[in-house]
Amino acid sequence: MRLLAALFAFFFANAAWADCPLDLGRGTGLVIFSDHYMIAFRPDPLRIEVGEPFALLFNVCTKSGSAGELVAVDAQMPEHKHTMNYHPSIVSKGDGRFRAEGLVFHMAGHWEISIDVRAGEEIERLTHDYYIK
Amino acid sequence: MRTALLAAALLAALAAPAAAQRLLDWSEAEVALVGQHGPWPLPPARDASNRISGTPVGIALGEHLFNDARLSGDGLMSCATCHQAGRDWSDGRARGRARVDLDRRTPSLWNVGYLHWFGWTGAGDSLWAQSIRPILDPLEMAGSRERASRLLREDKDLACGYERAFGTKPDGDDERLLVDAAKALAAFQATLVSPRTRFDDFRDALVAGDREAAARYGLSEQRGLKLFIGEGNCNACHFGPRFTNGEFGDIGIAFFVRPGEVDSGRLGGIATLAASPFNLLGRYNDDPSGISARRTRHVRHLHSNFGEFRVPGLRQVGRSAAYMHNGGFATLEDVVRHYSEVSPDRLHSDGTPLVRPLGLSAQQSTDLVAFLRSLDADPPPRPAPSPLCP
Repeated sequence: MRLLAALFAFFFANAAWADCPLDLGRGTGLVIFSDHYMIAFRPDPLRIEVGEPFALLFNVCTKSGSAGELVAVDAQMPEHKHTMNYHPSIVSKGDGRFRAEGLVFHMAGHWEISIDVRAGEEIERLTHDYYIK
Repeated sequence: MRTALLAAALLAALAAPAAAQRLLDWSEAEVALVGQHGPWPLPPARDASNRISGTPVGIALGEHLFNDARLSGDGLMSCATCHQAGRDWSDGRARGRARVDLDRRTPSLWNVGYLHWFGWTGAGDSLWAQSIRPILDPLEMAGSRERASRLLREDKDLACGYERAFGTKPDGDDERLLVDAAKALAAFQATLVSPRTRFDDFRDALVAGDREAAARYGLSEQRGLKLFIGEGNCNACHFGPRFTNGEFGDIGIAFFVRPGEVDSGRLGGIATLAASPFNLLGRYNDDPSGISARRTRHVRHLHSNFGEFRVPGLRQVGRSAAYMHNGGFATLEDVVRHYSEVSPDRLHSDGTPLVRPLGLSAQQSTDLVAFLRSLDADPPPRPAPSPLCP
């Protein structure tokens, strides 16, 4: 409940983001944001299995309302300091929607997903912690 | 009669606690981890890149070709020369021997159909592509596409088997016929699924909460399993029902195959994969969706690939000596000793290393080996291959 209230307050204070579509087709995805960006994303398939390829679907929104671009997606295990053995490719689906294909978490544990976006010259990195059993 | 019943009841009452005492305490988290190693067997493997995968006629053709020495350049060596059914689909040697002595061990073919990278370095991205390699390798079978295609065209039984499997008579396209022969070989190899084991009985009982059935698993095996999924962290890489995540690791085995020459492992495997006309990005992939090629399309070149080799599955591991890609260890005890004493200096890691010296006690080493041996089972006898076109 407190989280919902915080989100409402957040959107109220950032009216441009209120239009950002968070539904990625099969329910609302995970949402991360910074001062400039709000990103909704979800895996496809919804359940990530160890060692199995998956994709990530994104909506990239900016506070200014200008078009945001998904530049790169990667993931690493912070504990072991190793990346994935695969390099994802990104396809733009238009209107701030993107699909990153070719991710594989080859071990169980803590993965940090890094998401590089830009809406101008500078690239900003947002991260999200994901735990897979 | 009443006395007999009372005696039986008393015996049962006495036996129950005894059985319960033979089951260690397993936490909910441990049960979940053990559960990840099953159930077994998995559903039959199907390969979308191989249009005859899983078809009885394709499997039958593949089994005949697997045992046919005419695929080799001198007509003396078949796939079965090194991958022997009676030796758990390997050869029992530390390193393979073909036309010359090889630098790597002959991997067992048990459960090979479930892999996504093939060979010790993943130079093959499909079982059929991997099956072409030893046929053409001048150090191994030293065959050729012309020889393989001629065999399919000119041998009456094989030509008939080919037509049944692929729906057309073998034509004049030598390379395609070589690929088709390999796809039949792959269809057969994918049927080589290892039998259920005592571990599987324990795993199923533990997950189902059947303490009595679970307690039939030996105490040493249970302790070894706890080490495997706990302190040893072996399941980080030996994950899932096949006890492998199918990827690659450097576990501190020497790089040098002889003075001045190294085996670069996965690094070289990726380069070979990229150069192969038979990889899944090429024209011989039967999967129009492209899904089967996802790993190949996205595989990443990393400096850390140097010296990495494919994580082998552990089912039937006690029956598949020697060990490691170079056959450097003769026994399971040697393998466990390696993980117990491996030098941290040899292992390069910026973070918490996945492989570190475990410093196992003698009892712990014994327990770990006991657990590993519980992944073995006698396979049922194999019937002789049925005629291709009776």
